[in-house]
Amino acid sequence: MFAMGLLVALLNPAAKTEDSRLAVIRTPADFTLTAEDGKPFQLSSLRGKVVLVSFVFTTCNGTCPATTHRMVLAAETLAKAGLSDKVHLLSITLDPARDKPAVLRDYMRLYDIDPKHWTFLTGSQEQIDKVLSDWGMWARPAANGQLDHPSRVFLLDPRGRLREIYDLQFFRPPWVREDVQLLLKKAGKRTAQP
Amino acid sequence: MTSIRCWTVIAGMLVLTASLLGLATAPAETCLSPFVKRLDRPEKYLYVFCVDADAKDNDFLAVIDVDASSTKYGQILYQLDLGSAGNETHHFGFTDDRTHIWGCSLFSNRLFVINVADDPAKPKLVKSIDSFKETGFTGPHSPYALPGRMLISFLGGKDGGIPAGIAEFANDGRFIRKFEFGGEAPYGYDVAINPDLNRMVTSSFTPPRNYRKPLAKMDLKQFGDKLLIWDFRDRKVLQTLTTAASPLECRWSLKKDAKHGYVNCALADSIWVWEGDAENHYTTRKLCDTGKLPVDLSQSPDGRFLFVSCFASDEVQQWDVSDLKNPKLFSTAKPGVEPNMLHLTGDGQRMYVTNSLLSTMDRSQDFWVRLIRVGPDGMKMDPKFNVDLTKLKTGPARGHDMLLY
Repeated sequence: MFAMGLLVALLNPAAKTEDSRLAVIRTPADFTLTAEDGKPFQLSSLRGKVVLVSFVFTTCNGTCPATTHRMVLAAETLAKAGLSDKVHLLSITLDPARDKPAVLRDYMRLYDIDPKHWTFLTGSQEQIDKVLSDWGMWARPAANGQLDHPSRVFLLDPRGRLREIYDLQFFRPPWVREDVQLLLKKAGKRTAQP
Repeated sequence: MTSIRCWTVIAGMLVLTASLLGLATAPAETCLSPFVKRLDRPEKYLYVFCVDADAKDNDFLAVIDVDASSTKYGQILYQLDLGSAGNETHHFGFTDDRTHIWGCSLFSNRLFVINVADDPAKPKLVKSIDSFKETGFTGPHSPYALPGRMLISFLGGKDGGIPAGIAEFANDGRFIRKFEFGGEAPYGYDVAINPDLNRMVTSSFTPPRNYRKPLAKMDLKQFGDKLLIWDFRDRKVLQTLTTAASPLECRWSLKKDAKHGYVNCALADSIWVWEGDAENHYTTRKLCDTGKLPVDLSQSPDGRFLFVSCFASDEVQQWDVSDLKNPKLFSTAKPGVEPNMLHLTGDGQRMYVTNSLLSTMDRSQDFWVRLIRVGPDGMKMDPKFNVDLTKLKTGPARGHDMLLY
């Protein structure tokens, strides 16, 4: 069925498309924040790996638990495909005043998160605000005492370029695995070129 | 699995299920992209994209008070000057986070990016983008939110001709990429995405070099009759489907697990349905005949009803489409001359209506915004809500698309 769909798509001249479905959206600026172990963590240290980035806060009772749960499922799917060492997950707090490193460590334990492949980040309010602004994210107090914020997960290729933005509806582990494999395949081809 | 993790996973799944259920029931305001954050309260402001009727003054966005408890209910609170005239401001759409509106201009190709989050009563123009310069396309029509981005459908290409296409921009206005139509389906109009099916549908109208002419001089041979079915993630066309002339607004059915959707064929006075089979292969057929020149299409939150504005027969029709083999006309409303855009609230009970289509196609100069109440017995006009757009300081204005906040 997939082959037939592909054949139909190839034979249909109704639209001229680009060769990669994952366009280069932009390259986010590098940043250094504080990881859950209290040590500085620089985004550019992940060059060479595909990176999934979410923005959550630990006391959220809105979409953050669902986002983190989906990230857990994605991490499991990637592990089953043997991709754990080629992918790193990042979760950046939207509430740095509360989410200090020790709080982030507790949160990670709740979800059984392996810090080898998934890092939680915090920093000063000023540092976090700068990152939020650069990533087109925001957080503001809501009427219920929580923080209102968009729920997006960002996909970076091994060169640190933003290639996809998922919402919860579209952040499906099998699709994420396919996207990761596509980026790794392209990166491999690029490396192999003389 | 540790017991704490077990409970956490269960809690996470419950939250996830609730969240996705919320998403599943949220797509009311049915003309909005499914990626747009929905209102969790009754609307307070109605934004109307307005063309200065004689194109001498600047076009603007009108802010109308629709808070039922307000002393200024039904009044224009503010007019945001867009800084230029003659744009033919037409459709607009929210970004995914509902903080900004992107507005499209059929004559000038300008995209207006408007901040509504900082002060919803007084939106601010953030920037205007020359979409032709960025994309090579003309006649930007539907701004459709993707996560963190906007997808814009265009009606034409270079020199206002064909082929048309679609283009993507980041929410901050940076151009990302474009896809040019071609082959037997070079026309563009609307776009609608069904994330669950990973399918996108685009429709076809006529290019700027045709719609910029007065109605009587338009070439009826230069209108499309095709729908394109896309693999959304791949951004690849899978099928080209034929409908009647000028399929316009595309609406995926909101019924649970539905694999079909609807489009109003303006020049054929009918609504058509596209239907997918178990293997996501699609076919089209006529669903029902409507009044004259059906120009906008909306849907009840449960997917049972379609609402179609019939510009040339001055009526809005409500169709019961719970049985796709036997659609029934359920009720009719007469808002006034030339009803056009419809905007149904999330609860499906209030539908705002404007009455300008295009400055080249309007036959009346009586412009307004009115309200239809939708109840168990059908549609009824609300006689107390009537915003007159003819007595503004800058003279009459043609109100077209609407959004709620």
